[in-house]
Amino acid sequence: MLPPPPGRRPQAAPGSQEARRADPIPSGAQSTGQREVPQWAGDQYRSGGAHAERSGTPYGQRRPAGPAHGQQRPVGPQAGGAPHGAPGQGGPSGQGGAPEGRAATMLPEQSLGEAAQKALRNAGNRIVDTSSGKTDGLDKCPRCGSTDIHYSITAKALVCGYCRNQWNEDVAEQAFGLDSAIEELRGHTMASGTGDIREDLTTVTLKCQGCGAEVVIRVDEQLQKRCHWCRQTLSINTQIPNGAVPDAVLPFQLTREQAIDRINEFVGSRRAFAHARFKSEFVPDNVMGVYIPYMVVDGNLHAVMRGTGEVTTRQYTVRRKVGDNYVSETYYDADVYDVRRAFDLLVDDLTVESSRRYDARDNTRSTNNILNAVQPYDTAAAVAYNSNYLRGFTSERRDLNIRDVDDSVEEKFLSIARAKARPTISRYDRGVRWEHEGVAVHGTRWVAVYVPVWLYSYADSAKGEGSLVHYIAVNGRNGNTMGSVPVSHPKIFALSCALGSMATAIAAAIGWGWFFLG
Amino acid sequence: MLPLLADAATAVDPAAVTILADSGDSGVAGLMFPFIAGPAVFAAVYGGIYRYYRNTDKRHHFEKETEVAVGNLRTGDRRRGSNNRQSSRTMSGANQDNHLERVRRIAVR
Repeated sequence: MLPPPPGRRPQAAPGSQEARRADPIPSGAQSTGQREVPQWAGDQYRSGGAHAERSGTPYGQRRPAGPAHGQQRPVGPQAGGAPHGAPGQGGPSGQGGAPEGRAATMLPEQSLGEAAQKALRNAGNRIVDTSSGKTDGLDKCPRCGSTDIHYSITAKALVCGYCRNQWNEDVAEQAFGLDSAIEELRGHTMASGTGDIREDLTTVTLKCQGCGAEVVIRVDEQLQKRCHWCRQTLSINTQIPNGAVPDAVLPFQLTREQAIDRINEFVGSRRAFAHARFKSEFVPDNVMGVYIPYMVVDGNLHAVMRGTGEVTTRQYTVRRKVGDNYVSETYYDADVYDVRRAFDLLVDDLTVESSRRYDARDNTRSTNNILNAVQPYDTAAAVAYNSNYLRGFTSERRDLNIRDVDDSVEEKFLSIARAKARPTISRYDRGVRWEHEGVAVHGTRWVAVYVPVWLYSYADSAKGEGSLVHYIAVNGRNGNTMGSVPVSHPKIFALSCALGSMATAIAAAIGWGWFFLG
Repeated sequence: MLPLLADAATAVDPAAVTILADSGDSGVAGLMFPFIAGPAVFAAVYGGIYRYYRNTDKRHHFEKETEVAVGNLRTGDRRRGSNNRQSSRTMSGANQDNHLERVRRIAVR
């Protein structure tokens, strides 16, 4: 298991930026879930501890200075017992003093007591606040204050519906200080959008700042809603713990028309053996723009591999008599070596799916490998989250926590290590059999990002529920296209039989002619 | 149809070719040839078309496409012995190119 997942949400001192960030519901809003906000914060904190007990230490035996599961960022000296993030307990600055800027808002160590600082150094787990700092549910145009904003793919920018002002949010890596050197990563740094998911948070009530009405948003389905009285657009512009609000968004750059052209081209070259029903039901205009959640991981690692390699020292041919014929056989002599490789790795922007529905390892219900295959995404260009980027598109909610994907990430780290070791073993011409491998994770950094995909999905209408869903996906950034087209097995069988028969006939003419005439 | 031809070329059973090439009994090979070539072409065409349409083998090759910096390489190779009179050109169990295959995990400090 990789990093310290749950329970890693720090319990910060009231009044600190951490405390403000920890409030999942905007000011003037309240959760309508079963638990109140402070309880959630506390529950999540406690559940992390429970997880730590269950899962033990991730890399615990391999990481000398790494943090153990469930280790917490230290509690501020004055934080004991206070329900952090609770409204009205914001300390000197309070919630009203929430910063508007996007500077990396890690809790300064100087603000902690000596014991807490020591604990912080040992824990090594840090959370970077990537929330907008806004608490009013309003994403406004910076020029005119309108909330009627949408993302224009042609302009590649947010556009105000009133004053036509165009702008983009800051690049997230720079805005939140997530671009620091990977070799300096120690412990685990997690952007706040990767926080553990609370499944029971389904609705949020926002108080309209225009007219005072209370508007309920079903946050498992939507992140924006118009006030039914004054028509002002209210947005979930703060991070709520249901996985719907990431740290960053990678906006679409490919237009819908371009995506349709690519899908048409892809299917056009695969019509001959496509299933007849697919051909009749194929309507590329049904393509949808979807934001899919990914975790983007940086890693500061040390990898070690051990195995056996062989180098050919001699090649020779032996001719021996079998019955009336002579048989020639080639043999190889080889030197055998113990092979060991150890090196440091700095992995930049490794991506891993954070939605079960699109998990590339599970292709039983849908062809998720297709979505995986249209990567890579230029995640370094992702901008800070603004719900208006999602307007007009659908978005899949993240439903996997870091602890759910850390095993997968660790395996990916090992795979990368194996690939990077490949050029160093070229002298072993008979190959290398790796037998042991391991990786020590000195530091990781996790960021939750929405990536854009134009997605066409098809399920065989005749098979009803449970039919495999075929995807044709277009990377919304660079246009990489991949898809799964249902095939007509009888057609393929017929062609294969025909060509197989021809091959048999030709082979018979050659082989038997050789046997009888040779 | 070029991708299909490429698939067909790679999908032919290499073991069958080895048998034919290595066997000195040319008569038997000649007799067997049509019974090997026919099914091999059938399987190659079927598998090639299926893969071309369904793309079940496609994935993101993260291990090669992710930006990675490598440093501080240390090697420790030591000759252990010899392995003579092997009939195969490659060693048994070689997995240097199977990056996704996991082997026994060790603790690293």
